[in-house]
Amino acid sequence: MTGLAARTPLIDRRDFLKAAGAGFAAALAPKAWAATLAADAVFATAFVRRDGSFGAGILSEEGKLLYAVKLPDRGHDVTFDPVSRRSVVFPRKPGTIAVVFDHMKQIEPLTITSGQGRHFYGHGVFSPDGALLYATENDFDNAAGMIGIYAANDGFRRVGEFATHGTGPHEMLLLGDGRTLAVANGGIETHPDYGKTKLNLASMQPSYVLIDRLKGDLIEKHQLPANLHQLSIRHMDADQTGTVWFSCQYEGATMDRPPLVGRAPRGEALELLEMPETALNSLHNYIGAMAANHAAGTVAVSSPAGNSYVVFEARSGKVVAATDMTEVCGIAPDGSGYIASAGTGRIQPAGGAPVMEPDFVWDNHMHRIG
Amino acid sequence: MPKRFALALVLPLLLDAAPPASAAVQASDVISRAVDGFIRPAYAALSENAAAMSGGMDALCAKPSRQDLDAARKDYAALVGAWSKVEFIRFGPITKDNRLERILFWPDRKSIGLRQVQAALASQDSTATDPASIAGKSVAMQGLGALEFVLYGTGADDLAGKAGTYRCAYGRTIAGNIEKMAAEVSVEWHAPDGFATVWKQSGPDNAIYRDGNEAVTELMGVFIDGLEMIRDVRVKGFLSANPDDDRPKGAIYWRSTQTAASLAANLEGMAELFKASELGEALPPEAGWMAQSVDILLTNGIADAKAASGPIKDVLADPARRARLEHYALVTSSLSALIGTRMSAEFGLTAGFSSLDGD
Repeated sequence: MTGLAARTPLIDRRDFLKAAGAGFAAALAPKAWAATLAADAVFATAFVRRDGSFGAGILSEEGKLLYAVKLPDRGHDVTFDPVSRRSVVFPRKPGTIAVVFDHMKQIEPLTITSGQGRHFYGHGVFSPDGALLYATENDFDNAAGMIGIYAANDGFRRVGEFATHGTGPHEMLLLGDGRTLAVANGGIETHPDYGKTKLNLASMQPSYVLIDRLKGDLIEKHQLPANLHQLSIRHMDADQTGTVWFSCQYEGATMDRPPLVGRAPRGEALELLEMPETALNSLHNYIGAMAANHAAGTVAVSSPAGNSYVVFEARSGKVVAATDMTEVCGIAPDGSGYIASAGTGRIQPAGGAPVMEPDFVWDNHMHRIG
Repeated sequence: MPKRFALALVLPLLLDAAPPASAAVQASDVISRAVDGFIRPAYAALSENAAAMSGGMDALCAKPSRQDLDAARKDYAALVGAWSKVEFIRFGPITKDNRLERILFWPDRKSIGLRQVQAALASQDSTATDPASIAGKSVAMQGLGALEFVLYGTGADDLAGKAGTYRCAYGRTIAGNIEKMAAEVSVEWHAPDGFATVWKQSGPDNAIYRDGNEAVTELMGVFIDGLEMIRDVRVKGFLSANPDDDRPKGAIYWRSTQTAASLAANLEGMAELFKASELGEALPPEAGWMAQSVDILLTNGIADAKAASGPIKDVLADPARRARLEHYALVTSSLSALIGTRMSAEFGLTAGFSSLDGD
């Protein structure tokens, strides 16, 4: 009865480890690439193989897959701890198992299980000292957003949680002070009993919040104007000045064209940016990822629905480029530009020729690590 | 699979620009056939059934009787059937003003809607019987779920007599609200400068669909997302791997015993859309088997659901009928794989559906 899995399906982590077997980690890492892994900029991303299996991998600047680990379920974002040099790949909602891997030492991956009554939302960050991992989670029976806290030096044991003061938190950033967490509460209620069904579209209330990661206190909470309550705030990055940018997915009428990108200056109201009509149309009311390039002073947003990505100048908030790329989503700064990946298997390096890996569906996010 | 990619390169069947014109299937033709051959007629049918429901409530409220109550319940079953055929069209006019949720708010996970409906009935809330104010109320109070409770929930038999005056007035207001929305959606699908035109005429200057692939992706998504919704939400909402864990009250339309009828109508609507759009004919000859398989699976799934009719509690307690629902679930999984993976690969559209679901 493959069509009839148990309600609130939870993959048992011991079963996963047993099934994966010993030594499954170093799937792809010929010795010749070890130098690249050590020396150059590399990028982490989750993927789906065409055979339906799941993994996360490390790509070179040229778009070559250098290292891969299997995942028990579909991955979403990867976060990296420069202190221990470990990465954590979070599952997409409603997954409950995150996987910790070390692409240099290639030790056997660890798994992290979300707490009872919680599932991951796909994003998280380490504390600056690498001691704690914070993950956006769903207290699904209460439709309450949570931040799960895990002790990285103690087998990633779950040691606590904070409320995000909203529903459906998605991406989370640690701000430059090393203490403030910015969380995008997308506002959308889901419950694992009902798959991906959005349960509250007519009444959703997205918000952007700042939380003190040491005390769990709410520092700021901002909402969009009432007429934009169906604009789900989902992804963020900080520009070269430290100002947080956010991007959205619209759940209202198909023909509406709301703004999709904004800034959240500390202590001020959210600011939505105007965009030229053609660039806005090309985003199809759906931004799947956002990344800032501090060296270039730009911010990019990608839309797999609109098959394009758009780059803003951070200082002026003006669009400076819009590029067509089928099913683009993963995007990360490299040099003065961006490396981008797509569901088609295509990787477009910041400079140089595109790489095609037709066996891979690159997942939503790509991050520069190391 | 490298094969998939090769096909996408050599058979860009649905690209408007794909030469030679004689061999290429134009995206605009596929979309036009989907709109004219299925979507517009299906919304027209919804509008007619909603009007009949409204008329049925008018008659019942004017002269409450057992007979008129039975007639109104028949109208309700027909309306659920018409809605179930077209509910998986989740873009275009139905997304305006939260119509989708206002026509059907489900699942009502914490029974919030149910409690609101019960509270309105208990307090005889006059704003719930006011056509002008009901549209501004909670979505759970103004659609098919609320109307089902009015017609079939605890105390519904009062509708056959004077004790049901308020209840009937509330039901009539809900029916009128659905009738109004269904009519608006139907009209908007015919508007010359409306969504249908935007969808049919993809191109670089189009506000939504910049090429034929984007337009056809929207159409393929109807099947892929719809099948996933049926399987993960509608069926798994009440049918478990272990019969002891079944939840008959987790089934949509359990009060009106329209659960299986709705599941049948879901696939009937998909079958009609598949046929009308001639997606199967757009496949290359060597992939023609996919269209036949889709056809067979849809036929089987519809037959499964129809064989599982009746109060869902009884269906689940009857191993033979319950097995038909399990088979129905398997059919939706097979259809998902066939349409979502293999057929979309033939059209060179694959991959991306997976990254488009709100992450």
